[in-house]
Amino acid sequence: MRRFALPLAFLTGIYLDSILFCRLNIGGIRPDALLVVIVSAGVLLGSVKAGIMGVGIGLFMDVLFGPCIGLNAIAYMVAGVTGGLFYQKFYADNVVVPAMVAAVSALLKEHIMMLAVRISGGTFSYFEMLGVYVLPCMLLTVALTMPVHVVLKRALSRQVRTEHRAGRA
Amino acid sequence: MRGLFKNKPFVIMLIAIVLLGILAFATSGERSVSWLESTVGSVVQPVQTFASKASDSIIGFVKRVFKTTDADKELEQLSARLAQLESVEAENEKLRAENERLKALLNYSEISSDYTFATASVIGNSQGVWFDVFTINAGRNKGIKKDMAVVNSEGLVGRITEVGATWSKVTSIIDASTEVSVMVERTRDIGLTRGTLTAGEDEMLELYFLASGYDLVPGDVIITNGMGSVYPRGITVGTVTEVARRTEGATTDRNAVIQPSVDFGHLEEVMVITGMVSEEGEE
Repeated sequence: MRRFALPLAFLTGIYLDSILFCRLNIGGIRPDALLVVIVSAGVLLGSVKAGIMGVGIGLFMDVLFGPCIGLNAIAYMVAGVTGGLFYQKFYADNVVVPAMVAAVSALLKEHIMMLAVRISGGTFSYFEMLGVYVLPCMLLTVALTMPVHVVLKRALSRQVRTEHRAGRA
Repeated sequence: MRGLFKNKPFVIMLIAIVLLGILAFATSGERSVSWLESTVGSVVQPVQTFASKASDSIIGFVKRVFKTTDADKELEQLSARLAQLESVEAENEKLRAENERLKALLNYSEISSDYTFATASVIGNSQGVWFDVFTINAGRNKGIKKDMAVVNSEGLVGRITEVGATWSKVTSIIDASTEVSVMVERTRDIGLTRGTLTAGEDEMLELYFLASGYDLVPGDVIITNGMGSVYPRGITVGTVTEVARRTEGATTDRNAVIQPSVDFGHLEEVMVITGMVSEEGEE
């Protein structure tokens, strides 16, 4: 069961981001479930694994739902690698580190999207969007990160322990 | 700084960002879907369709929970029979709503007898508010081609931007980069609508480039004018809610704010205009 934990988390994230949160949100404000899973995987499994997962999932989302291919892949790869910077540097139980990484990654992702919209000709007020959309979404993402990290940490505990031992050896 | 560039994973990440950036730029314009994308989409489409339908039940359940008062909750706990009836009622309500939506679509397709349609369900949306792109469960298998107009019983939804074997991507008219050539139904003044970026659910369009001396009042209906080859003439786009001239530099551009006729927050079924009836007859 444990080996299916991450694929299951990603599938749930895809479902939440592409279907449920689009229909069930707080005035358009929604968390980024996939970003949460990738950041948490980064903190628990390291930069390389999480970066590769980020690119894979990002490309998948771009192909299925994105206006162009690569935007989500960049954002999720950076999120995974950033999460991995804290790999084995804090207690895996610590939820503050993944929450902070998720906050930074969410901000970065929204700014990548903003840039893409600007380049494609869209106009908007930066500070208005930052205040009414980007920051509230970031807070929801942070709030979702904490419980998800705890669950994923438990689900991946054997894998994390094995890698810790291998790291020490 | 030099040490940073000796860090192998960091350099690999930078190269990946550059490559993905180039890929994003290259795929942002007009292009056709590769076989790999088409296959991935076709494999995932049935699962997405199922998940999308299942979401309706989940959303219905959540709404029911929030609408239920404490007394009802107590009653529900005490009476298993009542819970069962409520469950049946919820199912009936869902079916009734679905029936109404489909009836409206059928009615629309009967009224608009000039066109041939392919119906499809929305199976996924792009994340966030930055792009209004969604995926439907119909593609080349239903005769859908790029740049076909997408409508529902309420009016214009958008256009097909990518087509796979069993799925397609639709860019809606409220996307910030989408422009639609329109006219005011009452005065026949010609203009252009463009999507706006808003965080909430109150998606709006902006009307631009009406000729000087235009006559526009709140409540005026905006329809497509048929210019260009994408949107047929006469499809309802929305209603003017605010006549607000905005001047940028020496030119006046925005003339009004429009409330789209389509409720994009609750879009479940759409119809793709696949051709004209006369065209079909000629073939």
